Amino acid sequence: MKKTVYIFCFLFLIYFLIYPLGHILSQSFLVGGQPTLGIFRGALGNYVVRRSILNSFLLGLLAVVSTTAIGVPLAFLFARYRFPLKNLLRPLFFLPLIVSPFVGAIGMMQLLSRFGSINLLLMKAGIISRPVSWIGSGFLGIFILETLHLYPIMFLNISSALNNFDMSAEEASYNLGGSFSRTFRRITFPLLLPGYFAAASIIFIWALTDLGTPLVFEFRELISIQIFNSIKDINTNPQGYALVFLVVLITVLLFAATKKLIEKRPYASGRTSVTVAEKSLRGKPLLLVYVGIFILLFLSLMPHLSIILSSLSLKWFFTVFPSEYTWSFYQTVFGHRLTRTGIFNSLLLSSASTLINVVMGFAIGFFLARTKLKGRNILDLLVMLPLAIPGIVIAFGYFSLFSNTLLDPRNNPMALLIISYSIRRLPYLVRSTYSSFQQLSETLEEASYAVGATLGTTFRRITFPMVSPGLFAGGVLAFSFSVMEVSSSLILAVRERHYPIAKVIYTLAGRITDGPYVACALGVLGMFLVGISYYVSSKLVARKIGEFFRIG
Amino acid sequence: MGILTVKSVSKSFGSAEVLKDVDFSVEEDEIFFVLGPSGCGKTTLLRIITGFLSPDRGKVLLSGRDITYMPPAKRNIGMVFQNYALWPHMNVRQNVGYGLEVKKLPSDLIKSKVEKVLEITKLGPSVDKFPPHLSGGQQQRVALARAIVAEPKVLLLDEPLSNLDAKLREEMRSEIRRIQRETRITMVYVTHDQKEAMSLGSRITVLDEGRIIQTGTPYELYTEPRNNFVASFLGDINIIDGRVASSAGETLDILTGEGRFSVAKSKEVAAGDRVKLAFRPENITFGGRMNQVRCRVSDIEYYGETFKVRVVGETGWQGELKAFSGDIQKMEKGSVISFCVKPENFIIFAE
Repeated sequence: MKKTVYIFCFLFLIYFLIYPLGHILSQSFLVGGQPTLGIFRGALGNYVVRRSILNSFLLGLLAVVSTTAIGVPLAFLFARYRFPLKNLLRPLFFLPLIVSPFVGAIGMMQLLSRFGSINLLLMKAGIISRPVSWIGSGFLGIFILETLHLYPIMFLNISSALNNFDMSAEEASYNLGGSFSRTFRRITFPLLLPGYFAAASIIFIWALTDLGTPLVFEFRELISIQIFNSIKDINTNPQGYALVFLVVLITVLLFAATKKLIEKRPYASGRTSVTVAEKSLRGKPLLLVYVGIFILLFLSLMPHLSIILSSLSLKWFFTVFPSEYTWSFYQTVFGHRLTRTGIFNSLLLSSASTLINVVMGFAIGFFLARTKLKGRNILDLLVMLPLAIPGIVIAFGYFSLFSNTLLDPRNNPMALLIISYSIRRLPYLVRSTYSSFQQLSETLEEASYAVGATLGTTFRRITFPMVSPGLFAGGVLAFSFSVMEVSSSLILAVRERHYPIAKVIYTLAGRITDGPYVACALGVLGMFLVGISYYVSSKLVARKIGEFFRIG
Repeated sequence: MGILTVKSVSKSFGSAEVLKDVDFSVEEDEIFFVLGPSGCGKTTLLRIITGFLSPDRGKVLLSGRDITYMPPAKRNIGMVFQNYALWPHMNVRQNVGYGLEVKKLPSDLIKSKVEKVLEITKLGPSVDKFPPHLSGGQQQRVALARAIVAEPKVLLLDEPLSNLDAKLREEMRSEIRRIQRETRITMVYVTHDQKEAMSLGSRITVLDEGRIIQTGTPYELYTEPRNNFVASFLGDINIIDGRVASSAGETLDILTGEGRFSVAKSKEVAAGDRVKLAFRPENITFGGRMNQVRCRVSDIEYYGETFKVRVVGETGWQGELKAFSGDIQKMEKGSVISFCVKPENFIIFAE
């Protein structure tokens, strides 16, 4: 039984993860069975493709720079200083994570448009006389939304690195006469580097492969959009394969570099660490900190505010705030055929994928933590791989690989959607059960056997109850992520009756009448769902939510 | 005035007073021990000397100069951290050379100084290794090398051997003594291990609940402890309650439940004073007449070359005696024995 499940997990991951990746690889380099670089040459010969690659890299790099500029100082502030309201303020920095930038973008369009609130406000205040085109080509808007959405990932990673930081490493430097800047450059930063690099990789790849946000801003010259567009004529134009291959290559290189960085130099620091003496902030510096935090939070919550306002506004033309409010868009959400179908589909798909996740996550967590089965390391690698592989890659792989088969997404994408949702969230589940198993000392189980309990009883009474909070917490998160999953939903769902929520939101946003408002109402509901599930799962496990946004 | 002077230093964290009027002075070229149980304020004291904390009151002087509020980086006081605090991303050579780089010494001078200190600390073969690949003893040597290569005026050691096993600890103890002799660096060594303090220390100050109880050479502290705490912290001790019956010349006559004792007068006490009469387990003889105590053997523990004999006196007093195999032959559990303590081997604590 154990072996069968083990082999099944392997086959599942190979068939739905490695096989599509291999397919992309072979399609990028093979034409008619002959190896060639022609597809790459063709793709790179195209001016728009070259521009898109450059733009995407630029977006990724800018996102890393901006999130570093915000997240790193913020993490230091919270790790090293003590100030009133600190513990109340900290969780607010999770809020940007609960709205996907794609949904936020729909609301922000409302604020940033030519006669949107920002321009009207500035014009009223007399700061500008003519409306400013904030969105411009859309690139700036995408950049702002990615930054506001992603800086918490930097904050979380650096915070946790700082919490595990052995202060005596810094003190030893000061003791030998090292200045503040030298100590930071030579000691603190190098020791934080693995955490920093991991966060920077996630942020870079996220910005590079985000599909929903550029679609909303109608900015076409990005790799993700080129991949999305190439799907329509994938059988005649293999350029999409080359682009997806490029993305895979970048991610693999980045994560290999992260791993190398952690392995090459042993970063685990001393045994007993000196307790961090947090410095008190008072007076002027404290005031500056509050002002900074207020501005940052205000900007971070702009997407949230904008979608909430949009979802409630009956009339919002040429005024800073809506002039009349209504609940009617929420009624539409539950009354309209398209939205109802979307909600139903998403709930169905997410439930099914979460079920798969919980069962497989538990099994694999068990195999990794409690058995010595051969090939465990490979299974570990396979199951963690989706953390690095962007959703757009997996969705593209499925679309091209399973076209004209029983699973053809053009006929019915439900099975592939379920599988892609679950493959993408499986790492979270495996990780949380694995660490629950590790925290559960085997002696606790042995103590049960020692008093005469059978394997089954021990499992039911001891093992499962102790592992289940982690499993449940991971399940709650996986479920809510799946409900709001963007890239595979956009790519795999072709017909309206198969649309999940994300694709419904995207479709509605493009309709001129009340579409965007209904989309925002749906987005608000999604925001609350994700927010509540973060809260629930963080209460369930004493561990920090931040662990779900870390690699390595 | 010594090279390092701590003057009436006090420090509180919230309502907890961690250091109370701490005063001592360290002489050049000595190994000065700060000895005390955990939680007595040792680490706080060290952090004040290194400058990672400021005292609420009092001063720290280095070569006569007030350094109380000088930043740590400017003090030239070396430190060996309890957990070594080696930088895991730098190899041994880089760890050791860092302090010299900070001082912007020319690179060939850095090289020769590092070579020399690695030789002193016997780290030659490990120069290119990274700290996590070193054994505990080697890590300890790197921490020492890193601190002494910067030629600090004073080197502080914060329980440096507490992460090592017993055998290695003994080895490193003599290494530290050797390195001190070769480099003649003044050391302030903080520990809760009285064996380390007794065997290495030129002088020891005993700290309890943030207060200095006594400062002196190991011999002084062992033979003339100021109170029961110092006496029992430095070794096993037996205590009998008593009262001074008479005080005549150099001898005291003390009455206790275990009998009447004639005791050398080491402390000013008057007839009628309540006192505690203490003696070390090894300062007894079996047999003899003067200051004899009769008791029953309750247990005998074997310690290799010696035995520990637990005894109960006639009034219920419990004590421990050190015995050799020759003494033990006439004893067994339950047998009644007697032992004597010479008048000069008693220590008196006034109540």
